[in-house]
Amino acid sequence: MNKNLDKILKRVQKASRYTGGELNSVVKNPEDVSIRYAFAFPDTYEVGMSHLGIKILYHILNQREDTYCERVFAPWIDMEEEMRKENIPLFTNETQTSVKEFDFLGVTLQYEMCYSNVLNMLDLAGIPLKSADRGEDDPFVNAGGPCAYNPEPTAEIFDFFTMGEGEEVIGELMDAYIEWKKSGGKRIDYLKRIAQIEGIYVPCLYDVEYNDDGTIKSMTPNCPEAKKTIRKRIVSDLDKVTYPDKFIVPFSDIVHDRANIEVFRGCIRGCRFCQAGMIYRPVREKSPGTLVCDAKNLIESTGYEEMGLSSLSTSDYTKLPELTDKLLELTEEKRVSLSLPSLRVDNFSLDLMQRVQKVRKSGLTFAPEAGSQRMRDVINKNVKEEDLINSATLAFNGGWSNVKLYFMIGLPYENEEDIKGIADLSHKVVECYYESDQTNKKRAPSVSLSVASFVPKPFTPFQWAAQNTMDELSEKQLFLKNQIRNRHVKYSYHQSDVSVLEGVFARGDRKLNRVLIRAHELGCKLDGWNECFKLDAWKQAFSDCGIDMEFYTRSREYDENLPWDFVDIGVTKEFMKNENEKAKKAVTTSNCREKCSGCGAASLCDKKEGCVCYE
Amino acid sequence: MNDYYLTYKRGDSIKYVSHLDFVRVFGRAFRRAELPIAYSEGFNPHPLLTFALPLSVGYTSECELMEFVMEKELETEEIKEKLQKAMPIGIEITEVCKGKTRMKKLDNALYIVKAESIPDDLSEFLSLDSILIEKKTKSGIKETDIRADIKNIALKDGCMEMLLSAGSRANLKPEVVINAMNKYIDGYNSGECEYHRKQILDGEFNPL
Ligand code: SF4
Repeated sequence: MNKNLDKILKRVQKASRYTGGELNSVVKNPEDVSIRYAFAFPDTYEVGMSHLGIKILYHILNQREDTYCERVFAPWIDMEEEMRKENIPLFTNETQTSVKEFDFLGVTLQYEMCYSNVLNMLDLAGIPLKSADRGEDDPFVNAGGPCAYNPEPTAEIFDFFTMGEGEEVIGELMDAYIEWKKSGGKRIDYLKRIAQIEGIYVPCLYDVEYNDDGTIKSMTPNCPEAKKTIRKRIVSDLDKVTYPDKFIVPFSDIVHDRANIEVFRGCIRGCRFCQAGMIYRPVREKSPGTLVCDAKNLIESTGYEEMGLSSLSTSDYTKLPELTDKLLELTEEKRVSLSLPSLRVDNFSLDLMQRVQKVRKSGLTFAPEAGSQRMRDVINKNVKEEDLINSATLAFNGGWSNVKLYFMIGLPYENEEDIKGIADLSHKVVECYYESDQTNKKRAPSVSLSVASFVPKPFTPFQWAAQNTMDELSEKQLFLKNQIRNRHVKYSYHQSDVSVLEGVFARGDRKLNRVLIRAHELGCKLDGWNECFKLDAWKQAFSDCGIDMEFYTRSREYDENLPWDFVDIGVTKEFMKNENEKAKKAVTTSNCREKCSGCGAASLCDKKEGCVCYE
Repeated sequence: MNDYYLTYKRGDSIKYVSHLDFVRVFGRAFRRAELPIAYSEGFNPHPLLTFALPLSVGYTSECELMEFVMEKELETEEIKEKLQKAMPIGIEITEVCKGKTRMKKLDNALYIVKAESIPDDLSEFLSLDSILIEKKTKSGIKETDIRADIKNIALKDGCMEMLLSAGSRANLKPEVVINAMNKYIDGYNSGECEYHRKQILDGEFNPL
């Protein structure tokens, strides 16, 4: 280990998160490969190592003999301070190599509030912040993940973006790199080459013009290689795609420290606020056979004590009983506890939870998302009050006394009645406890309300909606607080200022790149951590750049050119509009399994085996 | 009961893993190796592993000792081989034996300290009657005398060999001694140090 590095590691907290060497981390001789790929998760090790995507791509890249993929995370404040003091540039966990020496720096963008970390990491690495300033020797800095679907707020930072699922396209990018290297081309030649690969967006190949009011007039390719629209990539058959048979097993405690299998991608429900429900369409399931095999591989290679299921809504998996039966057989034999995601509460899931004893300790969660039936119809949540009451009764009869309810405020078309409905519904759940056959009524129920502020996201039917201001949100929170008149209801809410900033960047355009760079200069980083978030610095960054946050929180007309219109996620804009119109009238839409609504995502399956939308 | 113990080395690459995390590393290694380690009873069963002496973060060692219980009897060689395969890089299992150890008798440990600079003469430091250091406790800063816990310090091959109290009765870390040397020895500045545990011993200085 480098002496200087060794010195600072002695002084920082949890040093093992910077030094790699975990079980199943990949060891290769860098001399033996043609491509060195640094995979960055722009948050701490504990958060990043809990993320499934990084595990999948790390595995796929390292399966290639010509490539060595290593990991890098955002250092915690104490580590960053020491690194800057000792002039140690950002380095990878596996070999402690300076990230600047790599051929690629790939960043996964999971939430908007990590953008400042990306800049800070580039700065620590000694890599120019802006794509335009990078030289022939710098790595190709690229991004993927859900935030990449609106790449514009970071378009001047990244050299290119990947839209959609990375399993297949990452290989195409590496092959193109090898060919480009052989051809002895310039940096821009590689970018032009990959601009022709489906799903790849190279921002410098496009010019954006604005109208006088700041909205987008046009976005045009400035070279023949650049495509007019970028279509997202999907993997059609999840049973055939590579899934890691090994996970890295961290030494220190991370957020989700367990083996995980991915049950399906996409979601059949079309909640109108939910970006994941749209961008990951259509639904593609893995078969129970493949899943049990994945589970077995992981348990044997990691020694993990816990196994989790991952998907957007596991209750919608068509073969859930078969899967859980088989999994329980395996996990009981291997002394592994099965951790269930928040399943929809019904007889089946309660029964299952009784079998998986561990869950009993924790409470049950319900996500009605909105308080009134009207509002639940507006957002297309397709849950009726009686469904919730029935589920709660089942849970209370089953011996639970703690439940958690998830709601949102600041939704489009919301009025006071809808917010009051949140309090009313919580009160009804408490009543329901006293009416249940809970034998031990001496134990008081606990109903905790978690109320998030709605953030309009691109590629949702609410992408045109106005976002509430911080003041409006605080007012609504206070109003709701005053409506709660039962001591068994505990109310907690999220900071609204972070939500507003998140919304600004979610629907942002290229002009925001300036703000990001300014915010970085002003010391913004680790914004996802309460203790680090500096609202004042962000506000100053906006005002220094002469940019108004309200421009981004306002409502949009249908005919406005949205910054992300050039990205084709399969689901059409027409469908979104139609859904928004239905929302205004509080009319619901069936889920994909009941009836296909012709959203457009089926086109992604064209001639692709194993990819079926529901007819 | 199927009592076993093993000794192992902890190398440079794994020295920043904390003791608590290390316990988990062992638990998982047994599971990966499919070696039937015995678990405790109760709601949250944990594997029956007992470590002789936790190693501080940043230290390497060649004399770590751990006892464990198996659900059934197995050849020690088999355990050693399978377990080694299931270990992350940086842990070398040196021996697996049947039976119990004398780890309860542990009273001293021998450390090798590699410092950037070494004092020419330690006799004056070692002839002090008391060596006071400041210790942070919950109720504030407390002065403690560590003299009695320094059994010996010898200069050898450009390093310092420190024989110090260890275990539950009194546990003195070599880095604390280095701090004291920096404070007490005129003009001495150790610079950065590397710490390595060489031996654990009983009260009569017999290796365990
Ligand atoms: S095409 Fe139909 S079935 Fe497929 S995702 Fe869209 S609405 Fe659902």
